[in-house]
Amino acid sequence: MQCQETERLLLRDFDGLLTDQQKNRLEIHLGGCPACRLRQKEYGAILRALKPEPSEIFPNFWERLQPKLKEREKAAPWAVIRAWSLRAVPLSLVVILLILVTMIFVLPSREKELSQTEALLLRNENPYLDTKALFEESRLENKNMMLIFTAADEQSPSRR
Amino acid sequence: MEEKDLIRLSQEGGQEAFSLLVEKYKNRVFHLALSMTRNREVADDLAQEAFIKAYLALPKFRFQSEFGTWLYRIAVNLVKDHLRKTGKRKEISLEGLSEQAAVLEGEDLRREQDEIAERRRNLVHKVLQSLPLKHQVILSLRDIQGNSYEEIAQILNISSGTVDSRLHRARKLLRKKMGPFLIQEGGRYAMSRN
Repeated sequence: MQCQETERLLLRDFDGLLTDQQKNRLEIHLGGCPACRLRQKEYGAILRALKPEPSEIFPNFWERLQPKLKEREKAAPWAVIRAWSLRAVPLSLVVILLILVTMIFVLPSREKELSQTEALLLRNENPYLDTKALFEESRLENKNMMLIFTAADEQSPSRR
Repeated sequence: MEEKDLIRLSQEGGQEAFSLLVEKYKNRVFHLALSMTRNREVADDLAQEAFIKAYLALPKFRFQSEFGTWLYRIAVNLVKDHLRKTGKRKEISLEGLSEQAAVLEGEDLRREQDEIAERRRNLVHKVLQSLPLKHQVILSLRDIQGNSYEEIAQILNISSGTVDSRLHRARKLLRKKMGPFLIQEGGRYAMSRN
């Protein structure tokens, strides 16, 4: 094992992250390498010195914090409103969607009645076609028959 | 009451619930700031600011991470901003520290164990503060605060692999900068003596 790899392993060893196999390899290398043993000692000393010294937090932390919180809330009401609006927007969208779905599926739909002319125009048919045929009929008998049929079938917009 | 309930109440503006969260996390936040600034007053101000920011941002908290991790991220960013604003990294004077080391060498180490330990700490922390910010942060989180790799990954929003490699580089750099003060062949300061 190279010294470079040993350095990585010994640092991971300080974190307790080595497997038994890695630990064995590290110990074997350290046993025969004074430079790495010194390095291990130095890292140990540095990491021990980094450990936090006991230090008490200043007293009345919350009592000092609370007025600042109130002050900042007042000073930045728009920030608070904006933050809350982030929650309000999706909620409003859901409510609007629910109302729309209710209107479409639950409320009874009112049928809109079309006039005969509108119905024919909607089907792209000429509303005057039947009337024209009636006027163009020369035989009186046929004309009468056509008028009778039209009267009998008033519901059909195509037969006028 | 569970932490989740306290968070929900705080999100609705309940300051009493938030005070319980503050009580739970104030020490960790304060010590995080202290480990990076080495100044109790500044650390206290930063800890208070971290809780104010957290309170104002609470409506945006979506429970996708632990509250402590989220709060820690706010605190780390605040401390980093503070360190950036207050100027460059502290350049350490090797000469000055060597003098300090020389004074230490002359003292009776056995009788003055506590004082020596304190000076050692100051020395290491001085060198720590001369490191690049990202190295300071990761060393503070791992070697001072004792957070796990996974926690650090979440706080810094990086992968565990990046935590591993960055931590390795940071420790190597710290040792390299500590070089003049470590006991070696002919070294002046018995850093590795206990």
